[in-house]
Amino acid sequence: MSSVTRAAAAPRAQSAAPVLVVDGIVKRFETPDGVMTAVDHISFDVAPGEFLAVIGPSGCGKSTLFNIIGGLLDGYEGRVAVSGETLKGPHASIGMVFQEESTFPWRTVTDNVAFPLEIAGLPKAQRVERARHFIDLVGLSGFENRYPAELSGGMRQRVAIARTLASEPKILLMDEPFGALDEQTRLLLGDKVLQIQDQLKQTCLLITHNITEAVQLADRVLVMTYRPGTVKRMVPIELPRPRSSEIVSSDAFGRYVAQIWGDLREEASRGMRDDEAHRGGGAP
Amino acid sequence: MAETGRLSAPAAPLASPVTLVRIAIVAAILVTWEAVAASGLLFRDVVPSLLVIGRATAGLLADKTYYWHLGVTAGEVGIGLLIGGLSGLAVGILLGSNRLLGRAFEAYLYYLGPTPKIIFFPVMIMWFGVGPGSKVAMGTISCFFPVALSAAAGMREINPVLIRVGRSFRASTWQMVTKIYLPAMRLPAINGVRLGLGVAIIGTLLAETKLSNRGIGFLIINAYSTFDMPRMYALLIVLFVLSIGVNAVVGRLGGVDSIRRA
Repeated sequence: MSSVTRAAAAPRAQSAAPVLVVDGIVKRFETPDGVMTAVDHISFDVAPGEFLAVIGPSGCGKSTLFNIIGGLLDGYEGRVAVSGETLKGPHASIGMVFQEESTFPWRTVTDNVAFPLEIAGLPKAQRVERARHFIDLVGLSGFENRYPAELSGGMRQRVAIARTLASEPKILLMDEPFGALDEQTRLLLGDKVLQIQDQLKQTCLLITHNITEAVQLADRVLVMTYRPGTVKRMVPIELPRPRSSEIVSSDAFGRYVAQIWGDLREEASRGMRDDEAHRGGGAP
Repeated sequence: MAETGRLSAPAAPLASPVTLVRIAIVAAILVTWEAVAASGLLFRDVVPSLLVIGRATAGLLADKTYYWHLGVTAGEVGIGLLIGGLSGLAVGILLGSNRLLGRAFEAYLYYLGPTPKIIFFPVMIMWFGVGPGSKVAMGTISCFFPVALSAAAGMREINPVLIRVGRSFRASTWQMVTKIYLPAMRLPAINGVRLGLGVAIIGTLLAETKLSNRGIGFLIINAYSTFDMPRMYALLIVLFVLSIGVNAVVGRLGGVDSIRRA
């Protein structure tokens, strides 16, 4: 019946056990104003090969969620499991790509990408060979011996993605990887990510505040509420694959963007009022 | 003088005004020295003429025992730098990476850092004897402080996301140190080693002049006590040139590195 549209939504998700399970995550922080709940009972699954985007306004706990799933933050309630294994700290199956500039400035592109292989203790010849493969995959062939300072911001972020892919994670976990880049570069890098995901059948979890990016890339979009961060809605994006950035001009694309903005708008304005109240203090 | 200053103010092709003034300073000192030596106002032996000092310098450089003493001092400074530098680096990394330890211990480093280390020399003699051991100890404690403080400051300047990258790839503590901390803080660390080398030389030589029977410091104090002033000045000149050379080499290490891997 609806199996056709379902297949389009999550082509590789059928009948497979989820590779990532996020179950009832609650994270509270001590602040000068008392205890602040950043994330409140967030639960979702990611199927093998699926691309899930998590979208929310600033201050919804997206980055908290990113750090918890990446194993860099503990002291939370609930459970994160990868292929059934409960997470205790960073896991080899989860590869993180950070929002900030994260390439090592003292390493060449090749040595940056080979970093996780070096950590794993691979011999040099194999490291270089595998690094080359992933450099090629992100379209940076010819720049192997350059230092990050010699590259553009978009190229550096591709180095960071190649470095994480080189560790061959089951899940590619990205926190606004293109946040610092201009819109055109962002769309083109989105194409690159789609192409790589298609080629590697890579399971991806993208944290973003950019609606276009979420709809362009994802099979499903999880919309979060403003503080405390909860799941507001899960939106399946039933756009055909393989996709490219050209899809942003289609009517279907526009409808998804409008629908998600409808959900997000309310949350974003709550966030803005909250922020203004904080800054305004006792002002009339 | 004023004329040359005005003429050579815009970038002179052959020698910059700074270089000219520097040459003039050295020339003025030499002329004054020679004038004082010739005037006989001071004892001739205290201010020997440049010719006598030159002859003494040549004699020193031809003397085989001088090189043996130089080797002793270089060895003491080298070992002191090695022990003090490595322990300073380790302590700096520890204090820079652990906020509690850093705040607890760094106050002491800041208090002890500027303290003249020579006050510890009697203790070092008792612990390590009057031989090279106590000189190495002086070099070690002298260079430990600047290296530790620079390393701790360098650690705190590391971009935190690079540390998160290392953790996300599950790097071990040793891998974090060798593959992230040390390369990320190489410039402050090299600067610390440079400062450390300077004070290690000072600490070692000072100790040698106080109590020893070998090394450059011993030769200087020996020349002084036998009232061989030309030889003493010759030793000072040679030491001065050597220090400049060593500092230039260490400075170059930092410079080359920062250019190639900016």
